Amino acid sequence: MQPVHEHELVERCRRGDEGAFQELVNQYKDLVFAIIARTARDASSAEDLAQEVFLRIHRGLPYFRGEARLSTWIYRIVANVCVQEQQGRKPVTQSLDEGSLDRRAASSSATRELSDLILRDRLEKAIARLPANYRLLVAAHYLQGVRYEDLAEALNLPLGTLKTQLHRAKRQLRRLLETELK
Amino acid sequence: MFCDEVLELVEAIAAGDLTPDPRVMTHVQSCAGCAAALAAARRVDGLLKQRTTPAAPPQFTTRIMGRIRRDRWRRDQFLDLGFNLTVGVVLLFVLTGFWVLLSQSGLGGISHDAANILGSAASDLMHRAAPSLPLYLAASAIVATALGVWWWAEKDA
Repeated sequence: MQPVHEHELVERCRRGDEGAFQELVNQYKDLVFAIIARTARDASSAEDLAQEVFLRIHRGLPYFRGEARLSTWIYRIVANVCVQEQQGRKPVTQSLDEGSLDRRAASSSATRELSDLILRDRLEKAIARLPANYRLLVAAHYLQGVRYEDLAEALNLPLGTLKTQLHRAKRQLRRLLETELK
Repeated sequence: MFCDEVLELVEAIAAGDLTPDPRVMTHVQSCAGCAAALAAARRVDGLLKQRTTPAAPPQFTTRIMGRIRRDRWRRDQFLDLGFNLTVGVVLLFVLTGFWVLLSQSGLGGISHDAANILGSAASDLMHRAAPSLPLYLAASAIVATALGVWWWAEKDA
């Protein structure tokens, strides 16, 4: 979004213009929903959490000083909501072999498509085993248009640290999927 | 030892965040373990890029706008309640102060007489207004209904 338009939109929202806030929701809903749906362990709660994010945006807009970009501020709220959702939840101990897709089925049919499907299924399970902050990084980084710089600013991390954490997350994924990737 | 160093870099190389120096690439070409790790890292990167992007449900904006209106209405109600309570407390303090002032200054007797006069005037007014009482009641009911409808509409908005 253009900064001038963004500033104007924020000002309209602050004045209580409901149409402006609706425009803001329409612009960011897919991004917010995608990050949450990919990060939350309970996918059914994704919509509730995404609504919570927009509720916080609405309440917080009068205090948004515009020092950071609006998208950065929104990522920060998403990160807070995701971290709070993780608190109190048990860590995932699910085995990568559990689930509806069976490796034996893949070897018997020996189709590339099915093995890809299985690999993707295992990738999702491996991601679910990552620590919450790594999961959030992996979820947000691979969405179109999300830049390293925005994420680093939103998470209050130096750019180098953010990249290192992302590489560590992927290293964990590679190790978890070692057998499948061979 | 060199393998450990290279294995620390494969994710950065696979993501394109790092241009490996020739020494690293020469090692990767000659070491099966590091080459496999780099290939696996590239595969993970590719799979992560291909992950499906969940879109928000179709009625998401409508639902969030409804929730925001309810939230705002609740906050307004809370503010109204706070304001009314504050006004009530202030009024109570003013009346109490007035009463204490009257009692201490001996003007209570005069105010008692004034209250008697006001009471008889009110009673007289009631007698006169009695024939029109049903009309007043009907008008009050209409006003109450209008307020009720307004409250209901605001609540659902």
